[in-house]
Amino acid sequence: MKDQVRIQQEDFSQDEEIMALKASSMRMGGIATFLGCARDFSEGRSVSRISFDAYGSMALSEMKRIRLDAMERYDLIDARIVHRIATVSAGDNIVFIAAGAEHRAAAFDACRYMIDELKKRVPIWKKEITPEGDAWVSPHP
Amino acid sequence: MIDVLFFGPVVERTGASLLKVEFRPGMTLGELRDELAAMYPHAFEIVCLAAVDGQHARDFATQLVDGSEVTFMARFSGG
Repeated sequence: MKDQVRIQQEDFSQDEEIMALKASSMRMGGIATFLGCARDFSEGRSVSRISFDAYGSMALSEMKRIRLDAMERYDLIDARIVHRIATVSAGDNIVFIAAGAEHRAAAFDACRYMIDELKKRVPIWKKEITPEGDAWVSPHP
Repeated sequence: MIDVLFFGPVVERTGASLLKVEFRPGMTLGELRDELAAMYPHAFEIVCLAAVDGQHARDFATQLVDGSEVTFMARFSGG
């Protein structure tokens, strides 16, 4: 069984993550997911690839903390967060978040909470590789 | 000795991902930041976050201990 919170180079399977989430309890009535993927266009420029840098140990511990915060705040049954640190191409997966709760409202709210907190609290940086040159990404709201 | 780590856009501006800084008793996070900002002004233009031993550090009066791992970071852009 893969860890509920992971940083990895390789791609992930949304189906496998959701199956693992569902396997944790039969009481789960709603699962909300967020999939972040690489765009081929940003700030008026074509983007061919995106690379990442991370403060790995802190990033993983912050992601674990965010999951626990969401579990407590939204009374989740289970949650999973997976972030890739690799060089990816347009359309590739970057981050996957899943929140499982008894009912849909908590699942939706928790999923939104986790991606928003990840963007604020997790030390990961994204660099866009374009035909005109490379540029570190300024965070989006 | 204090290990200072840099990542992402900051490391591009410092040119080094790790600096070793001599520890002085009573040294604060703010003093370390000011010293490094004087050495790497271009890098510290984008520094807005710090961490000590892998934990977010918001109080720059925090006293460091010998062997601390300190990071000065640009705003995150993961996800």
